[in-house]
Amino acid sequence: MQNNGFLQTKEILAITLIVIGSKLADSTPALLAQKAQNGFWLIPVIAFVCIFPSFLIMLYLLNRYQHKNMIELIETITGKWIGKIIGLLLFLFTFLTLTLNSRNYVEQIKLLYFPESPTEIIYLIFFGIVFFGAKRGFEVIGYTSWVALPIIKLSAALVIILIMGNIVIQRVFPIFGSGLPIMLSEGVKSTAIFAELFFLLIAYQSAKKTQMFTKGVIIASIIAILEIVLFYFVYITVFDYNSIGKIAFPFHDIIQYIQFGEFFTNIETIFMIFWLFAAYIKFIIFIYITAWIFGEIFAIRNFEPLLLPFSFLVIMIGLLPINSISNELVLHDSLITIMSPFLIILPVLLWIIALVKGDLKR
Amino acid sequence: MNRKLLMFLFIMLLLAGCYDRIELEQQSYVVAMGIDKTDRKGVYAFTYQIANPEVGSAAGQGGADEAPAEIVTVDGADILSATHTANSFVTKKITLDHTKVIVVSEELARDEDFIRVIQSASRSPQIRRGVQLVVSREDASDFINNNKPLMEQRPHKYYQFMLDRATQTGIIPEATLHRFFQITEGDADLFLAIYATTEQSDQTENKKTEDQYIAGEIPQIGGSPTQFMGSAVFKEGQMIDTFTGEETRFAQILDNTLEMETLFATIPDPLMPEYQIAYNYSQKEDPSINIQYHKEKPTTIDVQIPYQAEILAVPSLIKYSQNKEYQKVLRETLTKRLNEKTAELVRKSQEEYRSDPFYWSLYVRKYFKDVKDYEEADWHKKIYPNAKITVNYKMEKLEFGKMINDSNLDEVRD
Amino acid sequence: MRLLSGQRKKNSSPSDKNISSSLSSNIQEMKQLFSYKLNKDFSMRTLNLKFNHKEACLFYYSSIVDGARINLNIIKPLLENDGDSVSNVVSIENIEEVSDFETANENINSGKVILFIEGDKMAYAMDVADFQHRAVSKSENETTIKGPLDAFTESMNTNISLIRKQLHNSQLINEGIQIGERSKNEVNLIYLKDLVNDDILENLRSRLKDIKTDSVRNVEMLEQYLEERPYSLLPTILYTEKPDKATSYIEEGFIVLLMDSSSACLIVPVTFWSFFHYPEDRYLRFFYGNFTRAIRLLSFYLTLMISATFVAIANFHSEMIPPDLLLAITASRERIPFPLIFEVLIMEIAFELIREAGLRIPNPLGPTIGIVGALILGQAAVEANIISPIIVIVVALSGLSSFALADLNINFTIRIMRFLFILAAGTFGMLALTGASLLFFMYTASIKSFGIPFFSPMSPHFISSEDTVFRKALKKELFRPEYLRPKDIRKKAKS
Repeated sequence: MQNNGFLQTKEILAITLIVIGSKLADSTPALLAQKAQNGFWLIPVIAFVCIFPSFLIMLYLLNRYQHKNMIELIETITGKWIGKIIGLLLFLFTFLTLTLNSRNYVEQIKLLYFPESPTEIIYLIFFGIVFFGAKRGFEVIGYTSWVALPIIKLSAALVIILIMGNIVIQRVFPIFGSGLPIMLSEGVKSTAIFAELFFLLIAYQSAKKTQMFTKGVIIASIIAILEIVLFYFVYITVFDYNSIGKIAFPFHDIIQYIQFGEFFTNIETIFMIFWLFAAYIKFIIFIYITAWIFGEIFAIRNFEPLLLPFSFLVIMIGLLPINSISNELVLHDSLITIMSPFLIILPVLLWIIALVKGDLKR
Repeated sequence: MNRKLLMFLFIMLLLAGCYDRIELEQQSYVVAMGIDKTDRKGVYAFTYQIANPEVGSAAGQGGADEAPAEIVTVDGADILSATHTANSFVTKKITLDHTKVIVVSEELARDEDFIRVIQSASRSPQIRRGVQLVVSREDASDFINNNKPLMEQRPHKYYQFMLDRATQTGIIPEATLHRFFQITEGDADLFLAIYATTEQSDQTENKKTEDQYIAGEIPQIGGSPTQFMGSAVFKEGQMIDTFTGEETRFAQILDNTLEMETLFATIPDPLMPEYQIAYNYSQKEDPSINIQYHKEKPTTIDVQIPYQAEILAVPSLIKYSQNKEYQKVLRETLTKRLNEKTAELVRKSQEEYRSDPFYWSLYVRKYFKDVKDYEEADWHKKIYPNAKITVNYKMEKLEFGKMINDSNLDEVRD
Repeated sequence: MRLLSGQRKKNSSPSDKNISSSLSSNIQEMKQLFSYKLNKDFSMRTLNLKFNHKEACLFYYSSIVDGARINLNIIKPLLENDGDSVSNVVSIENIEEVSDFETANENINSGKVILFIEGDKMAYAMDVADFQHRAVSKSENETTIKGPLDAFTESMNTNISLIRKQLHNSQLINEGIQIGERSKNEVNLIYLKDLVNDDILENLRSRLKDIKTDSVRNVEMLEQYLEERPYSLLPTILYTEKPDKATSYIEEGFIVLLMDSSSACLIVPVTFWSFFHYPEDRYLRFFYGNFTRAIRLLSFYLTLMISATFVAIANFHSEMIPPDLLLAITASRERIPFPLIFEVLIMEIAFELIREAGLRIPNPLGPTIGIVGALILGQAAVEANIISPIIVIVVALSGLSSFALADLNINFTIRIMRFLFILAAGTFGMLALTGASLLFFMYTASIKSFGIPFFSPMSPHFISSEDTVFRKALKKELFRPEYLRPKDIRKKAKS
């Protein structure tokens, strides 16, 4: 990894925002709406409240142990072997999230825009582009994210503006959807929809100053949560609680519905372009981070050659014959449920160990 | 070297893939689609109106005597499979992306299986949620075949202009598939679809005023035989009745989720009832709908509708604009008439349909904590039919247009 | 390899000799060195000096010196005037003492007269150069409406004078570096000493010295010897013929390279914005300038993408086209015998043909090409049902907007990329087109020119005058670009 100190708050913010913010346009809302019905738009808030303290603890620890990234930190605190096991677990989570997500995105592209092309080809093209993009290195990814961010967010804002006329605010009621207890438990279980925040910590040393990284990540996660809640609110007010659970890709349903005046009626392709940009960048970041975590665990300094085998692995696993619905609703759901407690508890555990070991008294 | 090989393979891949590539002229663009019942259960007749690109375009050279659209009908179980079957006699790939309306025959709409066949429309990304749902009195295939617009030769233009204008005046509702699914799946309110026909009804009565018709009843000389007027009322995905243009307008006034721009109507002149006064009804703000939900006793629904009226024509030549007394009478008559008409519609919906076409269930939702409570309370069966409903119109402003006074008949005749 | 360099050394050995005190041996040496008699314009004149009554001899190339000046300022005083040394006798502004033949050789090649005097171990080089060059003329390739019109010409002195005219600053350095093995050509680095970053300057110097080739005739070739990635589609050195553009870059802390034989200069290091900007943007008032920028941005997009976008939409996403337009295109395409992508490629290539042919065509024939191009390719092809009219519009738009990209280098980049994008769009619609443009962008972002990322100062961020896509008001531009690490970052003195 080259680090010329070119990445600053802006770029880190853009990277985080694109990785987390893309949750608003995939099938996460459908996943959440299955159980919570029209209360689902509040679930990200609950999940965020659950994960944010842990995340801050993690950032605090990283700040105390200067010059370490996440894996090094875990290894320092828990010892080499336990650290490696935790790191490996973390890698496994990252990799599975990447694979399941990628399958989901490829399905979206195929079902909505390229119905007659085989999934394999779309997968190959998608990850071909992702691979070559990731090859350019983390700094270039940072610049690209920052330059692309305003365009992506502007197009998202345009979607909101155009759909405004179809929003019926009263549809958010009954406010707690399928019930407060269900919502709370779902919220806690779904904490891991923000798992990417943790995965990004591997890049802690990539910015010019670590404070810049911290600042960027925190600001971005707050913007992202607002953005996600706003979009989920739009979904529920446009679709109502009975329909939202049936729609696999609400973002695409909305962009198919909106029109720009009387003459431009089918404008989804315009938004699809920006959505695709975001998707490409998201997976470029994701696969880079996955390779990075792997490289850190096995002390491979020059991990960029790992990108190619990883890309192939993702395609191979992603192409396993599981239908897209069960991929999303069963596998992804269980992955999130398993990851959630892990991500909430891990930082606290690390903090306690560090406290007991006395590393924090300085 | 390795990288170059990889790059090469990747580019080859890009070049090889062209699965979804299709030239424009290899597709047929469906503008309107019709669905009818057939003798067999589960099989429907699908009618496609396919635009002929060469008509009405400067670039087409040989299309002068070609029809503006090709209309084909094919049997099938659902929209997508029927579309594939249709390709056995349509030369090009049928594309539904540009479909503007789906026409359903009244017979099918009244069938309980209607929801099954229309459901398949939402599965295909090709049919947009913005497609309008039209119910035709006759078979949908007849409707599409008989519909021969004189001016707008290109069918998509015809539907676009016709529906836009009619929706603006409020005589037909906005009836997108999106709204149909939201209301039907929400299982609480009534959905209004556009009602249209190309056949003149026998019950053509000339006595009615301008908007008390449903499609087919309007006496008409010249022009296209197609009439869009009134709406078809759907309860739980099944058509149960029709609304006249007037009822449709009132339903839209009461519904905050629908927008209607202007409404021209007439009332009998309060002072000289043999003449009619024409006025333009407009609303600057949404009606306020107040629902007090009571678990044990009937729910009260209180609706306040502020409106403005502009007098357009006074054939009786009474000088309303300058006489305060007359104005007061006119105001009261207008408001009273609106109140009465609305109350009648509300009563009809409570007693006959036992549900509302106004999407009012939205306003009772806030009294419930979660969906379970709300569904148990049951808007359809328990809340709405028993509710106490008061609707009050309130005139904010009465305008008299740009003429201060009408010409004095006595002076003219002098 | 070693053999080769050994040979070269042997060849050049005679000129390594020092000048002897014997005039006849010096004359002998010079005659041999410059192939006297064979070389027609190599001239020699012997004369008797009046001030010390010794034999002397002058050598020069008659084709590159000013004969009248030699006569008036050198020969005449030497023959007639008294004095104690050469420099006090001749009335020429620049006299250098030369002690070896190597230097004498260089001096004669750069238009000086060498004077050998009997018994003197020094020769005297006097500058009377008069290389033929054009007069300063209007800029032909980078035209402006508002702003200075003069352009560089093929003369170093003229060019430097054009720069100095605009920048009155004693810190403005004109440093010469010799490059080339056989033909020694001089490259001049122009920069402001109190601004320029020494690392970048040193990097540039060492790169110039590393050029191992027989000769570098002009800056156009120097550009290719200097760049890091000769196979990259993107230029990393800016080429301009406008002195005002060059000066504005010098003021920011960039380095300008000039050579005697080129009517243009090179500017290093560059960013993407150097290719996007144009001096006129800054001469025009704030809104006008930014309006121009907006148009240019649009033309960037149109040139690069419009054909590809059209192919992608028509072949893969036809639902997007409004129905009226869709039917019109479909109707016009019904009799076309080619797939759409083929149509687009035919027209794009035809446009490139017109462009290239129009450039090379002798001037008197110029108007014909327009008529032939427009008539045959536009009208006739449509009427013959080979091309549909919409394609003509699309390609004409893409071709027309390519002219708005004034910089030649970036113009080529975009025009070549356009074809790649069309192919990508034709294979997988927006999926491939979006991917291809993303990769192109990322590749661009990863390029570095002399260590400076291509999209600085936008991303990565640096302090600068924030002149990227749009510029700020002139009075608000307070900083020099930080990515150059200039010695003084503030533009105005702190007040």
